[in-house]
Amino acid sequence: MPTVEADPGPFSFAPESTALLVIDMQRDFLLPGGFGESLGNDVAQLRCTIEPLTALLAAGRAAGLKIIHTREGHLPDLSDCPPAKLRRGPMIGKEGPFGRILIRGEYGHDIIDELRPEAGEPVVDKPGKGAFYATDLSKILDNDGIKSLIVTGVTTEVCVHTTVREANDRGYECLVIKDCVGSYFPEFQRVGLRMIAAQGGIFGWVADSPAVIAALQE
Amino acid sequence: MTATIGPVRADPYPWPYDGAAPVNRTALICVDWQTDFCGPGGYVDAMGYDIELTRAGLPATAKLLQHVRDLGMLVVHTREGHDPDLSDLPANKRWRSARIGAEIGGPGPCGRILIKGEPGWEIVPEVAPAPGEVIVDKPGKGAFYATNLDLVLRTHGITHLILTGITTDVCVHTTMREANDRGYECLILSDCTGATDPANHAAALHMVTMQGGVFGCVATSDDVIAATEG
Repeated sequence: MPTVEADPGPFSFAPESTALLVIDMQRDFLLPGGFGESLGNDVAQLRCTIEPLTALLAAGRAAGLKIIHTREGHLPDLSDCPPAKLRRGPMIGKEGPFGRILIRGEYGHDIIDELRPEAGEPVVDKPGKGAFYATDLSKILDNDGIKSLIVTGVTTEVCVHTTVREANDRGYECLVIKDCVGSYFPEFQRVGLRMIAAQGGIFGWVADSPAVIAALQE
Repeated sequence: MTATIGPVRADPYPWPYDGAAPVNRTALICVDWQTDFCGPGGYVDAMGYDIELTRAGLPATAKLLQHVRDLGMLVVHTREGHDPDLSDLPANKRWRSARIGAEIGGPGPCGRILIKGEPGWEIVPEVAPAPGEVIVDKPGKGAFYATNLDLVLRTHGITHLILTGITTDVCVHTTMREANDRGYECLILSDCTGATDPANHAAALHMVTMQGGVFGCVATSDDVIAATEG
């Protein structure tokens, strides 16, 4: 069984029951000139994940891992956007440089070209930060007998953390890939990763992508 | 006329988003104030952590509980724990707890660790549930997964949540994230929470306030009490 050096200890996984989860690598969050940048964020903090994630995705596909992508977004009529979220994010649904912001079907809502899903890879659309709530992710994982998740994407302390917390409560083993998750805020990248592995791995494990790629290629 | 709470002086905006939370649409959530986590002789204490850190929020929470009980607000207590036969305990959760010397279901200083019905699993007396208050038993960190919490809240017409409990970065945060995705307007209280690591307590509160309040707002219990009208 492939084993990866990780914090707080070695992480072993069976490729046939492991999925690589790629969270919210959407143009709205990652493209220069996009919605994320318009909020005053430095998208370079997120874009540094693209290169290692591209390599990890290739290795995961070659090893036959199930690949699952997620996108945060809402229906065009905003009927799945809670009022409390809309009030705090009044730009949701407004015209942005890449179409209506965080609206399904718009250019900005879709995944960046570098990480485009391949045919047959599920894309889970989620209305919240977590990828389990109000989605069919649990069903997809159960149907394929998935037990372990290799987690990547953005942002570390928001959508990645919420999804890992949901997955952990559901009994999935989560390995979060340090160089393939990103936050606009370096402080949150640091503490977000530290919280995952604290107390004996209270939410899961943390490792680097080269270690995972090496384990997949063994 | 229904009493209301708000606008509460909070970070990053006066809470709630819609101006004032009617008391009959608001619930106080008290997360995992259990002996094993914050009581003298509980397992966190026995493992050598400083329980003053997890107990720090008890006096303010006890005072706030009295305040909201007088208002007639819904109070929900949660407890993390598992069935005695461990049938609701994920294998990896058990394995990880054993690895740090506190195996769930194993013998602890206050009975079997995190098992329903054991003394260590009970809520500490300072913030013990009053008769009639809702108690939600949860097998995970989040209070929504595999529980009836969402149903209880919706049945009561609840739209706004005020969160207290331990630990800030683990069970309180996971519950707040779940609630936020479900559309509840959340307020976490900095003086009614706590963590075994003060840096994680501070970082978890800070995370709430980013991006215009990505999970809601942060305030103190005095802010809530001061913003009560009627």
